[in-house]
Amino acid sequence: MHLTRRLMAALTAHALFMTAQPAKADDDGMQFSLSGFANLTVAKVLSGKQGTYQQWSCPCTIQNWEYVGVYEQSKGWQADQESLVGLQGSLRVNDSLSGTMQVLSRPHNDNYRPSVDWAYVSYALNDQWTIQVGRKRIPLYYYSDFLYIGTAYPWVRPAPDVYGWPIYAYDGANLAYSGAIDGGSWTLDANAWAGSFNTRNDAYDTKIYYTQPTDEAWRDIAGGYVTISDGVWSARAMLMTFKDQQVTHHPDGTITVNLDNDRTSIGALSLNYDGSHFIARSEFNRFQQAGTGSTYNYFLAGGGYKQGAWTGMYTLSHYTTTFNNIGSPIEGRRTQTFALRYDLNKNVALKAQYDISVDESRYDFFGNSTLMSFAIQSSF
Amino acid sequence: MWWGAVLALGCRAVAAGPLAVVVAASNPSPKLNHDQVAAIFLGAVKTFPSGNKAVPVDQVQGSPAYVQFYGQVTEKSEAQVRAYWSRMIFTGKGSPPQENGDSAAVKKLVSSNPTLIGYIDAAAVDGSVKVVYEVK
Repeated sequence: MHLTRRLMAALTAHALFMTAQPAKADDDGMQFSLSGFANLTVAKVLSGKQGTYQQWSCPCTIQNWEYVGVYEQSKGWQADQESLVGLQGSLRVNDSLSGTMQVLSRPHNDNYRPSVDWAYVSYALNDQWTIQVGRKRIPLYYYSDFLYIGTAYPWVRPAPDVYGWPIYAYDGANLAYSGAIDGGSWTLDANAWAGSFNTRNDAYDTKIYYTQPTDEAWRDIAGGYVTISDGVWSARAMLMTFKDQQVTHHPDGTITVNLDNDRTSIGALSLNYDGSHFIARSEFNRFQQAGTGSTYNYFLAGGGYKQGAWTGMYTLSHYTTTFNNIGSPIEGRRTQTFALRYDLNKNVALKAQYDISVDESRYDFFGNSTLMSFAIQSSF
Repeated sequence: MWWGAVLALGCRAVAAGPLAVVVAASNPSPKLNHDQVAAIFLGAVKTFPSGNKAVPVDQVQGSPAYVQFYGQVTEKSEAQVRAYWSRMIFTGKGSPPQENGDSAAVKKLVSSNPTLIGYIDAAAVDGSVKVVYEVK
């Protein structure tokens, strides 16, 4: 209830008193703007495989990999796995230069301690090109860099079968392009980035896989994506490479180097359709690691229908690993998602979602589950 | 109380006549097509086809003109426009156009600055602005 009160207070405050700051029509100097977002997500595991996995009592299901949000049937309705509040402050110095910081608070951030997910300086070289330096989320897949902006997608959450890595941000620089092609009928959005990111005792590695403090670093990150859109269709292609370092610390002071700067590449393709009523979403992604021979293949494909303030959506998602050089067992999952969204107003979306998940792993992982979720999601 | 407030925010009447997308009379921009207007108002393109800077200005969010303009030009509801801008704001890609009141206020602002582009009631068009696209 403590969590619920906090989030409801945040939602109420912004719904009543705040709106996002618009772009200025004239360059009239320095300006500070504050915006934010909040998700109150309540979910319950309805059924699934009995047992345990690591610290969790099952039936259970993992719905957030970055911070490890896991629902357990034995805990009933849970609001403390995915709910969050984010605030973003931007200082616009002039038409070209601005600075932005975004902090996120959630139960898994060490009892609501805000974390800095974004902090960067942005400089517009001209009307098409922008360079940004600092910390940003990695725009790996279509929803990666706005994974927690619930009002921007039809589901309670983008498919966890696709969105799940221990590293979600990078410290570095990116060069972005935005402009028209084909006389303005299509637009091109492109970005190239480089940097690195280090985590210590990250939840993904430590809680899900190793159960002992594990650090992971992605070094020499270099990636880029290109998106073209005509406002109805959009197609996106992304490729990123990096060196993956992963070390586990044991109680006796020794360490195990799980990954030693293994060259890794991730490729992603997505094709989306946004008609007057019909919508479609698809993503096809692949992760490959040279040294370990690890390969992940994962996708989501879904279709929906919009009518007024309502959107209904069916989505199928799947991921699987393949045989590798290090003896890791095959892991995989297939999920069917039925989602319903209602736009209460321009800032608030209400959502309900039912997930049927089949664990295809060849070892005792989280297991099968069905999950019912409800969410109030807002941006302001 | 909170639910009452948000419900009230969500229930705005929608009714407007033909709209004209206008620039200053001195702006050399030729006529624009549907896609070009949408791209400018969604921040995907920041210049006119001539290459000159283009800065869109909105009427008040939720106003009949706002709802009609985005409904017909971008085929998005007010909530969908808001969702689009949420994504842009929180990924550092842009921010929505500045709100500038009603047709009279937008016309006055646009007519005085050749970088601006706005939409007004078609009946309000006069010699101070040039129509580059019509929303019927």
